Amino acid sequence: MYVVETDNLTKYYSRGKIKALEDFTLQVEKGKIFSLLGPNGAGKTTLIKVLLGIVFPTRGSAKILGEDISNAGAHSRVGYLAENHRFPEFLTANQVLFYYGKMSGVEPALLKERIPQLLKLVKLENWGDTKIRKFSKGMMQRMGLAQALSNDPDLLFLDEPTDGIDPVGRREIRDLLKNLRDRGKTIFLNSHLLSEVERVSDEVAILKNGRLLQKGTVEEMVSVKQQFTLQLAEGYDLLQALCAELALPLVSQNGSFIVSVRDDAQLNHLIDKLRERQVLIRGIVPRKITLEDFFIEVVEDKEVAAP
Amino acid sequence: MKLLAIIQLTFRESLARKTFIAFFGLSTLVNLLFLFALNLDIVDGAESYISLFGKEIDQAFELEKIVYGIESVVAVGLFTGGLFMSLFATSSLIPAFLEKGSIDLLISKPLSRFTILAGRYLGAVAIVAFNVFYLVGFSWLILSFKTGVWNFGFLLAGVMIVLTYAILYALMAFLGVTIRSGPFSLMITYAILFFSPLLLQREAIYALLSGKFWGYLLDFLYHFLPKTTELGNITRMLVQHAEIASWLPALTSLLFGALMFAAASMIFKRKDF
Ligand SMILES: Nc1ncnc2c1ncn2[C@@H]1O[C@H](COP(=O)(O)OP(=O)(O)OP(=O)(O)O)[C@@H](O)[C@H]1O
Ligand SMILES: [Mg+2]
Repeated sequence: MYVVETDNLTKYYSRGKIKALEDFTLQVEKGKIFSLLGPNGAGKTTLIKVLLGIVFPTRGSAKILGEDISNAGAHSRVGYLAENHRFPEFLTANQVLFYYGKMSGVEPALLKERIPQLLKLVKLENWGDTKIRKFSKGMMQRMGLAQALSNDPDLLFLDEPTDGIDPVGRREIRDLLKNLRDRGKTIFLNSHLLSEVERVSDEVAILKNGRLLQKGTVEEMVSVKQQFTLQLAEGYDLLQALCAELALPLVSQNGSFIVSVRDDAQLNHLIDKLRERQVLIRGIVPRKITLEDFFIEVVEDKEVAAP
Repeated sequence: MKLLAIIQLTFRESLARKTFIAFFGLSTLVNLLFLFALNLDIVDGAESYISLFGKEIDQAFELEKIVYGIESVVAVGLFTGGLFMSLFATSSLIPAFLEKGSIDLLISKPLSRFTILAGRYLGAVAIVAFNVFYLVGFSWLILSFKTGVWNFGFLLAGVMIVLTYAILYALMAFLGVTIRSGPFSLMITYAILFFSPLLLQREAIYALLSGKFWGYLLDFLYHFLPKTTELGNITRMLVQHAEIASWLPALTSLLFGALMFAAASMIFKRKDF
């Protein structure tokens, strides 16, 4: 069973003028950290809002935790950190967690026990009795995260969770998310911080203009097909000569060479040739790019990508 | 349980507003005034002297009348000033909770949209009821103990005031959900309060109207809108144990309130945030 399932989900705003989501079909498995990437206005927040019933889909259907999104019942097992969330400012951190936890259906006695742990988790343990109007941006964000966890949810929607959080805090949040995942929770993440997404996500989808452009594991996205970095002990001249002979594109980068081949057979043919001439090979590494490179490539290339 | 959390939160939010502190302070002042300034000395069982605010009152005056009088002043004061202040203080509650970032969070909770709106509405009514009964309840107790006149009509008047607020706040909820502006909702509601006596006296201005249409329009407005003037009169008559000629204005006003709340929740249920 999938934790999040959408089927041709479509959302238009302003009577169809703004197409925030277009025939969006996606499945997210249980126990995964799933990240949604996309430029500003791509429809990431809209997707989460549709899934949580905050906006209504124009077309299509979706389920979270096996229940149709028109049903708020599944929400007791869901945590949500909204983009630009705000809590009533006159409340203290403890009170925010108490009231919002209670709204999620958590027993008050259990909440009283859980609140100190939640605050500790987001490193706000000394701020429980402070009114949140005195909080900094990063502290508010931590507060939002603690709130999202107040009902110990099975499915967590986080819209830009590390927005405004310092580097140390970001690492802590990453570790927290991994920890949650290891406990079987599913995390649905919207983020712009690609280096972070790269470190934490099991699966990534790229969204642009409301359409799904790519979906896969980080590994699949960052490894470039049919490009290999060759590390040789010596004999780079020979390599260049061979590649010229076989008409293989070769570029040098930081002292090593990257060769592009058509398929595995061609790669092995090149290796045979090198070995025939007694060239010592140190390593053949499938070439990787950063997720950022991949993201920019996808988003810029597929300007009007077909679905 | 979950509904209660929303009500509690709204209650707290209202308490955080200065207007309710002022309301509360004023009520406390009135209560203290009754507690200390109103003296009743019973001499020889039969003859009693009442000194009100230091001034002695002739026994010939009926005690009951005086108590009813004082309680009417409190009730009418609450019906006008208290309602005015309460509407003012709660006017932004609905638009504020519909703001981006806070409504999202509420909808993400396992609550139906109807429950969310109802919780907000009931929270506002609860804070006003609390304030009204703080004044009515205590002043009733003080006056009753001091004079021995136990006027339950005064408590009923308290109920009427809260009910009137609930009716007007249903309209505010409707306007808040559709227009999302506290000041605007407040203006419309104040306008209804202001024009209510005129609508009641509409016969007097029929002659001035240029056509029949305007007469019908006024009739329609009178029947449709909450009849706050008549509700005020009913409140006063409850205190004074006067005969209430008709409850119809109260019933139709309640109907208006129910209609407004139903419309507000219908719109709220379908809205994107
Ligand atoms: N309430 C709304 N009414 C009209 N249009 C909206 C509304 N909310 C979002 N949109 C539009 O829908 C599109 C998608 O917006 P969305 O907030 O989902 O983007 P996003 O991917 O979350 O962007 P960001 O990275 O900036 O957070 C945008 O073009 C936006 O202008
Ligand atoms: Mg967004």
